[in-house]
Amino acid sequence: MELYEYSAHELSKMLSEKKCSSEELTKSVLNRAAATDEKVGAYLTICGDNALKKAREVDEKRSKENLHPLAGIPIGIKDNISTKGLLTTCASKMLYNYVPPFDAFVMNKVNGADMVVTGKLNMDEFAMGSSTENSYFKKTHNPHNLDCVPGGSSGGSAAAVAAGSAVISLGSDTGGSIRMPASYCGVVGLKPTYGSVSRYGLVAFASSLDQIGPMARNVTDTAMLYSVICGHDNMDSTSAEHEYPDFAANLNSDVNGLKIGIPAEYFGEGVDDSVKESVMNTVRELEKQGAEIVEISLPSTKYALNAYYIISSAEASSNLARFDGVKYGYRTENYENLIDMYEKTRSEGFGDEVKRRIMLGTFVLSSGFFDAYYKKAKLVALEIVKEFNAAFGKCDVIATPATPGTAFKLGENMGDPTKMYAADICTVTVNIAGLPAISVPCGKVNNMPVGLQFIGRKFSEQTLLNTALAVEELNGEAKPVNV
Amino acid sequence: MSIDVKHLAKLARLRIEDDKLAKFEKDMESIVGMVEQLPDVSGDAWNLDPNHPMKLREDTEGTDKLPRAELLSNAPQMQAGCVVVPKTVE
Repeated sequence: MELYEYSAHELSKMLSEKKCSSEELTKSVLNRAAATDEKVGAYLTICGDNALKKAREVDEKRSKENLHPLAGIPIGIKDNISTKGLLTTCASKMLYNYVPPFDAFVMNKVNGADMVVTGKLNMDEFAMGSSTENSYFKKTHNPHNLDCVPGGSSGGSAAAVAAGSAVISLGSDTGGSIRMPASYCGVVGLKPTYGSVSRYGLVAFASSLDQIGPMARNVTDTAMLYSVICGHDNMDSTSAEHEYPDFAANLNSDVNGLKIGIPAEYFGEGVDDSVKESVMNTVRELEKQGAEIVEISLPSTKYALNAYYIISSAEASSNLARFDGVKYGYRTENYENLIDMYEKTRSEGFGDEVKRRIMLGTFVLSSGFFDAYYKKAKLVALEIVKEFNAAFGKCDVIATPATPGTAFKLGENMGDPTKMYAADICTVTVNIAGLPAISVPCGKVNNMPVGLQFIGRKFSEQTLLNTALAVEELNGEAKPVNV
Repeated sequence: MSIDVKHLAKLARLRIEDDKLAKFEKDMESIVGMVEQLPDVSGDAWNLDPNHPMKLREDTEGTDKLPRAELLSNAPQMQAGCVVVPKTVE
């Protein structure tokens, strides 16, 4: 067995017992990336020399002191997370040459734990998309079937972990961008409670919805990485002050007495029957272990996608106003005056999907339309929060499909934006309500992975991880896919 | 609803090429058609989470200063420690 095939929790032990070095492990992961990435296309930037240098430093340090459990473990980072001195493009021409002069909060944490960054991972441009096809630079392919998309927007983060070209990775989730690619690629992805992970250094898409989270081939690795990145940060005014447990140490797959809510609205029209079946079969296995199934209702779900696209696009239109060719990134070649420079820079720098979202945001915030769109969407968001609160009076976690179907073919949904948006139907409510949710593999349909989503109360990540672990124990931990 | 894409683009400091205008109009109309179906709900939209209120920072000088040269290193055009833009005042 090659080193890249092991999980982070196995490698953590092997490293501390000196059964392998971080340098050997990093080499193995980089070799795996070299062997697979031509086909998978998960990475935008591979920083092999820096990674090996860091790995050797960690090996050296290990001989002198006790290190963090994840020290020396290679990690891939989504390309919208600022990495000091390392290209951060958001998969956009607009930031094709941008090298951040500072590290994101999560990178300070990752570096503080002595993890080894192997590179930056592909995504939909500015995290807008559900297939990673909106990247300016390249397409990423699903390691389970190279004709299929990996999901998005954290498609590179999911595909790298699935293929074994990263042991673990960081993604970001605004409307499902961690859970959806996790589901499509057969890996675990956690979207944490809003405010539990600092957004400082995450290039903003929709600030009230964005959250960074961990992705891995199993629940234990996910828990370990989440423990690294959560916590309060003065640099993010929405960062919560909260005490967090040691998630990995407290993992417990006993679901006896756990109340699992099943909302009919997530098992209706638009969701594939085979996906519903796979999810419900798994839930019934948990019932056999003592979990109680409770029927719940979340009626405003039918408006969630509409509210989500209004709110997220409104925030995106103002967040992306900063890209004007003045302080960083792309600037057009020829221009006559300042306005001309702005317009040409933005028109040449942004892709079509980003332009559509900016224009939708501009539209819903423009005078005469604000009350009918943005204000109404915020009121729907409030209804969604109320319905979740009521549901959590009856159950501990809510189980739903993570996606309405399995991974679709590249190009299949590119002609029709609203068809692409529909892929987010199971995930957007969670961001609107600021809740945590996890996607865990629960089986396969037509040889492609299906993800089961558990949604929890705010700051109930431990319960989500524990429940996901119970699912994982039914099927076993995922191993890198043959590519 | 028909959407004036040219006007929207202007507000957003974008330009849509003429050959792409029809496609953008069609896309924007279908997107707006999708999102406009919202129920009539009343209430106060500006909900705050009472358990995790946001705090305002102290109004003090920041501590994480970056050197000017590093901050300017990404600017497309720079001169004498300043970013350069086209003339804006006649």
